[in-house]
Amino acid sequence: MFDREAYTLFKFSKMLNQSFQNKRQLLECALPALRDLFKLDRVYFFDWQQERALLSLNMMCKKEYCMDMQEDISVLNEPEFLKKLLQDGIADSTDLNYPAVYVLLKWRRPAMTLEGDDVRTVIKERVGVLRLERFRKNRVFHETEKKMIKSVAAEISHNLTNTEIDQAKNQRLNTATALNDLATIFATSLRLSDGLELILQGVQKYFRFDRVRLYQTNYDGTKIKSILGVDISGEVTRQSGDDLPEDERTLLRDVFDKGAAYRTIHNVVYIPLKVQRNKVGFLTFDNLLSRRRIDYLDFISLKQFSTQIALAIDNAALFERVQELSNYDELTKLPVRRFFNEKFAEEIYRSKRFDLIMSVILLDIDLFKQINDTYGHQIGDWALKEVSRVLRTSLRQTDFPCRYGGDEMIIMLPRTNGEEAKIIAKRLKERINGIAVPDRYTNGDRVTLSISQGISVFPQDGDTAAALFEKADKALYWVKDGRRGTFALYGDVADDIPQKENAREE
Amino acid sequence: MILWVMPDSGARTKSDYKLLVQRFKQEHPGTDVSVQVFTRNILWKKIFMLKNPAEGEAVPDLVQIPHYWTALLTRAGVAENLSKMDPGLSLSSCLFPLRPHCYKPGTKDLYSYPWWFDMSALHFRADHLKLVSSDPEKDLAQWDGLLDVCARLREQFKEVEGYYPMQNSDWRGSLSTRSAFMEIWGRGAALFTGDLRGTLIGTPQFKEGVRDYITLALKNYMPILRERGSLGTMLSGKASMLISRKQGVASFEGKMGVRVKTLPVPRTGEAPQAYLSGMNLMINTAGTDKETALKFIKWCARTDNQMRYAAMMEVFPAFEESFEQLIFSSSQRLRTYSGILASARTLPNITITGTVVEILNKILAICAMQIVEGRFTQASLDIELDKAAKEVEYLLSLYEG
Repeated sequence: MFDREAYTLFKFSKMLNQSFQNKRQLLECALPALRDLFKLDRVYFFDWQQERALLSLNMMCKKEYCMDMQEDISVLNEPEFLKKLLQDGIADSTDLNYPAVYVLLKWRRPAMTLEGDDVRTVIKERVGVLRLERFRKNRVFHETEKKMIKSVAAEISHNLTNTEIDQAKNQRLNTATALNDLATIFATSLRLSDGLELILQGVQKYFRFDRVRLYQTNYDGTKIKSILGVDISGEVTRQSGDDLPEDERTLLRDVFDKGAAYRTIHNVVYIPLKVQRNKVGFLTFDNLLSRRRIDYLDFISLKQFSTQIALAIDNAALFERVQELSNYDELTKLPVRRFFNEKFAEEIYRSKRFDLIMSVILLDIDLFKQINDTYGHQIGDWALKEVSRVLRTSLRQTDFPCRYGGDEMIIMLPRTNGEEAKIIAKRLKERINGIAVPDRYTNGDRVTLSISQGISVFPQDGDTAAALFEKADKALYWVKDGRRGTFALYGDVADDIPQKENAREE
Repeated sequence: MILWVMPDSGARTKSDYKLLVQRFKQEHPGTDVSVQVFTRNILWKKIFMLKNPAEGEAVPDLVQIPHYWTALLTRAGVAENLSKMDPGLSLSSCLFPLRPHCYKPGTKDLYSYPWWFDMSALHFRADHLKLVSSDPEKDLAQWDGLLDVCARLREQFKEVEGYYPMQNSDWRGSLSTRSAFMEIWGRGAALFTGDLRGTLIGTPQFKEGVRDYITLALKNYMPILRERGSLGTMLSGKASMLISRKQGVASFEGKMGVRVKTLPVPRTGEAPQAYLSGMNLMINTAGTDKETALKFIKWCARTDNQMRYAAMMEVFPAFEESFEQLIFSSSQRLRTYSGILASARTLPNITITGTVVEILNKILAICAMQIVEGRFTQASLDIELDKAAKEVEYLLSLYEG
């Protein structure tokens, strides 16, 4: 005997027997098929938010085409309808004045969860509803027809499950491929900053975030040092941590205290970057402008990827720290001679290239040997620390001081003429001269510090590092010859120097 | 060329566009135009993906956008500089209020081009109102008067099953921000302060304006979250009034055979307020057929096409000549809409306007759900608006202009 229901189902499932990229594509095939099969005027597909009893219209299919539509319908106040739909899987419309039935669709969809560092897949149930309409009042849906509609709906549900599983697999694969590509780019970048820029741009491009930002901390993880970002136009932005508004400075504490935060409501994700206990920084992704929800799978993937970024930043920070240690004198915290010479040569080159001026101050602590011999090296070290502290705190950001050797220090003053250098020398003199060595070290004697300074100017006193050093040294010796605690500009005292030089050589 | 549009004529949208495209193709043989229709919600999400399309994803060449998305899409680098593509392109014949919304803020470069616009007005069935008011124009001048008329209509039609005094014009069947703007403005508030550097969302006036609007749903004068077409429509005689952006007086009359009158939206403050919203066309920087897109933009701006399209969508043409032709074609339309146009306001074209509308839409969607579930309180709405105000302040600090 001919089984009409089985044949209809066979025909329908044959139509759906293909691979769909997503739910939308499946519905664009299933709804017109349904419309033709049951001679309908319109078919609607709704997502059902069960807990709110809210039907959210997704797609409409009429005679000629399917179209995205949006409408929210609450069925909360229709308990009878709701009960019947849930119980029987099909229910007649109670509102419309033409024949219409609602049919329940139930399918499964894989979702990701993060347990510790393990990603687990869980299957979640999804519910949707089809509304089938006929505009002519006499074309009601008969019971046999309703039975067949239910069977067809089950077939659509089955296909929805398959499509959702395929889609999730593809999404995971695509994400893994994209992150792998980014990791390769990162690994082949010669400079960390270039690599990070590429990573952020890549993440924004692939995940389509409105903004992506990387907050990097200082070496002990207590303060935000810098922010590297990619804005909505894809442009790279850089900001110093010092320029952050007050409320953003507390972000560091918030992110680390609360751990990686997935905030769907705020469309912002924070991922802390940690290596063992080191707070390296944190990543933030936001869709503040678009209000799009950040996908949980994206969050998990990025969280896993972030460990690579954290390691790379930490390594780079370590390298920077080692460099810093080798470039700075441990006692005075001033740059060492080798580092100074590099910078000095660069600055001279820049001054020549752009026709700029610069000055150099060479200084030493008066009677340093005597202090050392009388009160011991400990007091000598204390004096060096005090003088270098004043230097570090009294100079401009562009000035570059250095411990040249023993108690001798040198300061490079870019874009500074002789008169301006004298003002700086005067300031140093005033701040250092008179600093008293604590009496507990001096058996009650009053011992105060003072410095002598010699200044030379580029280009009039010389256009090489050696020449400038030599002139500053000559001026310094001129000062030390009976004028201790003061300073002199080579140009001002040059006429006086040859005799002194001779005397010194004798 | 791929054109992305919104379903402005509901389920008819695709067939309406089919006609439009056919005409364009007749004049431009050899061009290929494909129209894709997305709800505003989906289009809003999709425009953020235009910058970075996935592999193999078809990108549009031309996109229909509300006027206040121009600044955002320009900042995102998605909108093409039309002045560069065609230095001759001008807005000289475009209606004045629509002009500022086509430029990149602070420049004279065009990044979108006007297409059409709509204005909110109150339409009512004269036969219904006659039963409850001797002078509808006077009774419906103020918002309180409107609520009073709603109460009288409710009583008058209490025997009619599924009757609501006010039809819900929101395309989602929910509460919509655009319908609340006039009440908010009437109370003296707005989305932003005058200098566009702050927000007024958290002010008592703003909250009062929102409350005015949602009273329609709270008092059950307007259906929310119900099947559209089944309940409370003027067409079926189960509603008497409608606040709509569409100007379709003629179509009401044509379809219903009853007289429909139009008035400004009842005011909540001293002066009447009308919401004017322009729809523009934007060329996607990543499009592959920008030349055809530009041709289409110019073709749409032609008077005959403006007239035809406006009639089809029941909206207003964006250019002076076609607008005048339409407005002078009916004395009732002229009388009604010239007054409404004089009090019309637009949303400012700054980067975050679209986002702010999204935020408010979400708040009103929550309100709608709470009203249906019987758990709405003014306090919870106020808290949501205060939170929104903070968020908008933050957005303004990130995206100035």
